[in-house]
Amino acid sequence: MKLQPSIWLRTAYARMWVRTKSIYGEPLWVVVTIGFPLFTSLAMALLYRSTGLNSAVGFAVLGGVMISFWGNVLWSMASQFQWDKQQGLFEIYISSPAPITAILVGMSLGGIIGTAPSAALVAFAGWVFFAPPINPFWPGVIVVFGLTLAALYALGMTLASLYLVYGREAEALNEAIHEPVSLLSGVYFPSIGGFSPFPFALQVVASLIPLTIGMDALRRTLFALPGLPPAGFDAIYLHVIALSVMAGSLLVLAQKALKALEERGRRTGTIAVRQR
Amino acid sequence: MSHGDSKVTVETENLRREFESKQGKIVALDGVSLRVKEGEIFGVLGPNGAGKTTMVRILSTLLLPTAGTARVMGYDVGKEPEKVRPLINSASGAERAGYDFISARGNLWFFSQLYGLPSEEAHRRINELSAMLGLENYLDRKFYALSTGYRQRVTIVRAFVNDPRVVFLDEPTIGLDVMTAISIREFLLSQAKNRGRTIILATHNMSEVDAICDKVAIIDKGKILACDTPSALKRSLGAPALVMEVSPPPPPERLEMLAKLEGVKGYTSTIDEERGISRVQVVVNSDDTAQTVLEATRKSEMNVLSSYRQQTTLEEVFVALVGRGFREREHEVAA
Amino acid sequence: MSNVRSILASIWIGWYRDFSWTNPLLGLSLRTIPPIASVMAASIVYWWGSFHAGVFDPNRLAYIMIGALLYAHIAAYSMIPNLAIAEGKWTFVFTQVYMSPKSASPYLAGRTLGSFLSSAVTLFLALIAVYLLLPPLFGTSIPLVVTPLSFALFGLALVVNILASMGIGFLLGAYAIFATKFEWALPTYISGLLMIFSEALFPVTFLPGPLSQIANVLPFTEFIRAARAAMIYNDVSSYFYFLGLSAIGGLILLFAGLLAFRRAENRARRLGLLDRKVA
Repeated sequence: MKLQPSIWLRTAYARMWVRTKSIYGEPLWVVVTIGFPLFTSLAMALLYRSTGLNSAVGFAVLGGVMISFWGNVLWSMASQFQWDKQQGLFEIYISSPAPITAILVGMSLGGIIGTAPSAALVAFAGWVFFAPPINPFWPGVIVVFGLTLAALYALGMTLASLYLVYGREAEALNEAIHEPVSLLSGVYFPSIGGFSPFPFALQVVASLIPLTIGMDALRRTLFALPGLPPAGFDAIYLHVIALSVMAGSLLVLAQKALKALEERGRRTGTIAVRQR
Repeated sequence: MSHGDSKVTVETENLRREFESKQGKIVALDGVSLRVKEGEIFGVLGPNGAGKTTMVRILSTLLLPTAGTARVMGYDVGKEPEKVRPLINSASGAERAGYDFISARGNLWFFSQLYGLPSEEAHRRINELSAMLGLENYLDRKFYALSTGYRQRVTIVRAFVNDPRVVFLDEPTIGLDVMTAISIREFLLSQAKNRGRTIILATHNMSEVDAICDKVAIIDKGKILACDTPSALKRSLGAPALVMEVSPPPPPERLEMLAKLEGVKGYTSTIDEERGISRVQVVVNSDDTAQTVLEATRKSEMNVLSSYRQQTTLEEVFVALVGRGFREREHEVAA
Repeated sequence: MSNVRSILASIWIGWYRDFSWTNPLLGLSLRTIPPIASVMAASIVYWWGSFHAGVFDPNRLAYIMIGALLYAHIAAYSMIPNLAIAEGKWTFVFTQVYMSPKSASPYLAGRTLGSFLSSAVTLFLALIAVYLLLPPLFGTSIPLVVTPLSFALFGLALVVNILASMGIGFLLGAYAIFATKFEWALPTYISGLLMIFSEALFPVTFLPGPLSQIANVLPFTEFIRAARAAMIYNDVSSYFYFLGLSAIGGLILLFAGLLAFRRAENRARRLGLLDRKVA
C-alpha cells in the first residue's frame, strides 16, 4: 500500500476537520460557548456607559470578541494534549508517523473556525445593543486580527507542551491564567502606552503577551483615540512586526518544546497514562 | 502456518527497563530476548505487573529501553522511531480513545490520516475491516453513543487501518462479552494467517493465548521464563495436574507443605465460597507424585472431597515455572 | 444524624476537591488570583471611562470592588451542585450517592457548603489584596469601612446568601440531572446574567426600565447592597433591610430549588436517566 508524501497536510487537515466537525456537528456548541464572552462584554460595556464615556463602549465589545479566542486557546489548545493523554489519544499521536506540529496546526485552524461564529455573534450583539462609534482602517484591522490570532494560537501550542508536564490540574491552571492574562493584556482597556494605568515595568511584561499587542493594535485601527495618529499602517507597523516575530518564535518554541518533551516522556515513561 | 522460513519482524536482545519511584528503582523488564517471525501471533503471557505492557510500549516506540536493543522490521525502536512508526500500530483494551462527537467512521478516517492514507483508500479499508468485525452498521453513530464492545471494535479497526506489518495489542478483549471476544480473536487470526501480519498479544488471558497464539512467552517479574508453542509448553510438564477439592478451605500455610514434596512443581488454589471448598491445582512431574500428594494431603487432616487429573493448562505451566498461580503472584506484587 | 454525617463528609470532599493540589498553598494562591484579576479589570474599566469623562469618584471604586468580589464569590460556589452532578456522571460517584440512604440532597448541600468555605477564604484574601493594590494604581484611597463590626456584618451577609446560592444551585442541579452534554453551559449563562442584574458593577438603574425591576427582586442584588451598606456606607439600618430582603428571597429560592430538584430526581428515576451515559 502506497503512502502519499503529504502526511503533514493530511494530519493537519484531519485534525482541523475533527475539531470543526465536533463543533458544527453540535449546533448547541456555538450557543454554549458564547455565554461567557457575551455577558462579560455586555457587563463591561454597561460599566463604560455608566461612566458617561460612550465612546469607549467599543473597547468592551472588541474585548468580548477577543476573549472568545483567548478562551479557546486556553481551553481547547493549551490543555488539549493533557486531556488527550488521559484519554489515550496522545500516545496514538506519538506512536504514529504524523508530525505533532501538524496536529497542533490542525487544532489551531479548527479552533479559529469553530470560535468564529461565537466571536461574530458577540460583535453583532454589541453592535445591536450599543452601536459603538468606530473609525475603522479595515486593511489594518484584517492584518492585525490575522496576526494576533496566529500569535495567540502559537502561544497555545507552546502552552500545550508546558501543560503536558505541569498540567495535571489543567482546569485549575486555566482558571488561574485566564483572568490575569485578560487583565494584563488589556482586553477591555488600553494596558500599554500613554493611556495605560499600569507602571512601565508592568507594561513591559504585558507586552510579552501577544494578546496585549494585538488588542492595542486593533483599538488603534478600529477607534479614534485622542492623542494618537489616525488609523493607518503608520500607527501599527511596530505591532505588525512584533506580532509576526511572536508568532514565528512561538511556533519554533512549541516545536522544540514538544520534541524535547517527547524524548523526556520516552525516557521517563510518562507518555502514556493508565486510564480508569 | 509454518513460520520456519519467515523473516524476523520483532526482536529484542537483553532488553531492560528500569523506573524510578518513591520506593526506589523498579525493574520492569530484566534482560528480555525474543524473536518473532512474520505472520506469527506471539503471545506475551503473565500476571499483572509482569512487564508485558512495558515491553509493548518499548516496541511501539513510546518508551526507551534502559539497556539492550529492540528492533521492529529491522529498525531500532530507540534510535529510529520515525522509521518504525509507519509500519506498526497498537491498541490497548484499557483505551477508549476517540472523539465523542464524531462518528466511528469519522474517528477511523482521522486516525488513518495520521499515516498519510488517501481518503478513498482509508474508507475502503475502514469498510472492509468493519465488515470483518460486525461494525458496519455502527460506523455512522457518534463515538460516545457506542457500547463498550463496539468502541473496542472501533479500537481494533483503528489498529489495522494503516495496513501495519506489526500490530501490538495489550489485553484487547479485556472486559468484553464472550461473543465479542471471540469475533476479535477470529479477526486477529485472519489478519495474521491471510495477510501475514505479525501480532504481539500481551495478555493474562490464558484461554486467549491457547486459542490463537503460535508461540507464547511466559513472563514474570520482567523475565521471560519460557518461550515455545502452547502445546509444547504444556507437554513439558510431563503429567496432568492433580486437582483436589478440599473442605473446609485450608489456611495457606497448610498448603505450603505441598510445594515442599518431591516432584511437585507448584500449586495454585481458589476458594468457592458458595460451596465452602478450596480447589487446589497441584502441578506434578509424574503420576507417582500425584499419588504422593494425595496421600500427604489426607494425612495432614485436610478433608479431600474429590480429586481428579486435569488436562494441562498454561496456568499450570506458569505455576510450574514460578511455584504460584497468577492470582497469588498478583497479590505478592500488590503487597 | 446520617443527614449531618452526609453533609459533613460532602463538605470535606468539596473542600479537598477545590484544594486538590499536592501543594495546598499553591492551590490557594492560584484560586485567589482570578477574583483579584477580575476586580482589578472592572475597576480599571471604571477608572478609564470615568477619568476620561471627568467624573472619577473613589466611592464608586469601592462600590465596584465590593460588588465584583461578591459576584466572583457567588459564581464560584452557586453552581457547585450542577458541576458535582456533571462530574459525578463521569466518575459514577453520583449514581453511588443517589443510591445511598440519604440520597443526593445532603451530598449536594455539603459540596456547596464546602465550596462556600473555600470561596470565602479566597474572597477575604482577594479583598485584602485588592484593597492594597488599587490605591497606588489610581493614586487614591478606597473608602472602605474597616472595623470589626463591618467585617462581622459582611460575614453575616455571606452566610445569609448561602440560602439563595444553594437555591439556585439546586435549580441548576435539577437541570444537570437531565442534561447529557454541556451541563456547564446553563451555569455560565446564569453567572453572566447575574453579572449584569445583581448590581455587581453598576447600579441597576442603568438598565432599561423593566430589566431594572427584575434586578431589584433578586436576592443576590439585596445581598450585595447589604454588603455595601456595611463596608462602604456604614449604614446599619439599610444593611438589615437589605439583608432581610436577601434572606426572604433566599428562602423562596431555596424552597423552589429543593422542590425542583426533588421532582427532577423522581422524574429521572421513572425515565431511567440517573445513570445514563454522557458525552
